Amino acid sequence: MSAESVEIKGEMAMLSVLQLASPDAAQIHQGLQARRDSLPALFAGSPLVVDCHLLGSDCGKLDMQQLRASISELGFIPVGIRNLADDCVEQAVKAGWAILRGGRPAVASSRIEKPAPKEANPSGKSIEVIDRPVRSGQQVYFPDGDIVVLQHTSAGSEILAGGSVHVYGSLRGRVLAGIQGDTSARIFCQKLEAELVAIAGNYRLLDDIDTDLKGQPAMVWLEGEKLKIAPMF
Amino acid sequence: MSRIVVVTSGKGGVGKTTTSAAFATGLAMRGYKTAVIDFDVGLRNLDLIMGCERRVVYDFVNVINGEASLKQALIRDKRTENLYILPASQTRDKDALTKEGVGQIISDLCADGFDFVVCDSPAGIERGAHMAMYFADDAVVVTNPEVSSVRDSDRILGLLQSKTQKAEQGEIVREHLLITRYSPDRVQAGEMLGMEDILEILAVPLIGVIPESQSVLQASNSGTPVILDKESDAGKAYDDFVRRFLGETVPHRFLEVEKKGFLKRLFG
Ligand SMILES: Nc1ncnc2c1ncn2[C@@H]1O[C@H](COP(=O)(O)OP(=O)(O)O)[C@@H](O)[C@H]1O
Ligand SMILES: [Mg+2]
Repeated sequence: MSAESVEIKGEMAMLSVLQLASPDAAQIHQGLQARRDSLPALFAGSPLVVDCHLLGSDCGKLDMQQLRASISELGFIPVGIRNLADDCVEQAVKAGWAILRGGRPAVASSRIEKPAPKEANPSGKSIEVIDRPVRSGQQVYFPDGDIVVLQHTSAGSEILAGGSVHVYGSLRGRVLAGIQGDTSARIFCQKLEAELVAIAGNYRLLDDIDTDLKGQPAMVWLEGEKLKIAPMF
Repeated sequence: MSRIVVVTSGKGGVGKTTTSAAFATGLAMRGYKTAVIDFDVGLRNLDLIMGCERRVVYDFVNVINGEASLKQALIRDKRTENLYILPASQTRDKDALTKEGVGQIISDLCADGFDFVVCDSPAGIERGAHMAMYFADDAVVVTNPEVSSVRDSDRILGLLQSKTQKAEQGEIVREHLLITRYSPDRVQAGEMLGMEDILEILAVPLIGVIPESQSVLQASNSGTPVILDKESDAGKAYDDFVRRFLGETVPHRFLEVEKKGFLKRLFG
């Protein structure tokens, strides 16, 4: 029940969005905790935007102070709030919230692979091969092992693997390897143009600073706590 | 067997309706019995582009609700034989489109011997767009040479391979990329993405490039699909596109900056 009361969705701006379906503080806390605990490595310390468009006039019932406290307490960084009913804005500002421009309501990202619970993986397969491009808004989630993408991944897509990730085309989206804490996981790609790379929760945003690596075949791995990125050839 | 083709894009104003009208007309001109359906419930304008707005009596939603038969609602095109238009409703909202209702209409069209059903999708990725693509065999993804349009098309490509009947059955919707409003001058000036860049990002087979052209506006103002304007470069490019869709090999044109004389530069 509590896990349904909130939902977390990745968005292109590289912020996770917390979609509130109920204004109840306890439910929000429980729901967010459950989501976090399911993917601690992914969510640790990540910035969070709160989206209220599902609440409508129920926004008034939100305890803005408590909401901030819950989010911080669970290890997220409350960045701002959006799609608030007009009469709630003042209360939110008082509680220290940044009011964000409406933005598109986060549309459910379409997962290519359903998260397969361990016991529901009778083939015991440890590798997931994707033979089509992974498009903007799509997510490939395979906590049981490695993901191999034979084509490109688009900006605005997400790859989440328990093990390593191999992309035999351009890597343009976000890619997270070792999402359950495997620090030996690596990321390999033919052309590095990723928005974000992460291994076991250690992430790095790739922007224009990293031009020397841009477009190169590259490998990403972890040395201690430090994320290393180097050309492959 | 009818072929169901959705014309879609994600972004609005990129030329889906212009393309649907030209495409359906081009198919019908070649003898294929073709229906074109306006899925933009609430914002209909396919009937305007096709020049049949005064002949709209019943619409798509009337048929779904059983208030009119498909036969009553289909408008037979006056200019082109084999061409029929199913207009959208101006007054309803998008929730009127149900999967069952749309599916029924499409299977009735198939039973009626239509060779092609062209679905003109509304913008966005919500109900109307979803219903327009759901039954598709083929998708013509319309993209303008700008980053936001390309990004939205990428998103639509993802939905085509996950949210359609074909996808649910483990099959694939055939994808065709149509770049419209292409302006070689602006590409050369670096103001727009080039064709190569778009192909690199989307990795979908290119079926046509339609140049930015005055003739499109003139055509839509006079309610004539631009493909009937055989003198205009947009009309010619649409004709090439239809031929490629039907399997012919036709080289791409209108990709290079035109060297214009003084008069041409003044008057386009
Ligand atoms: N190739 C083109 N050159 C110039 N204008 C165009 C072209 N294609 C479309 N347009 C114009 O762009 C606008 C949007 O076109 P439309 O087909 O209605 O787009 P959509 O159905 O995707 O919203 C219209 O004003 C149309 O005349
Ligand atoms: Mg339109």
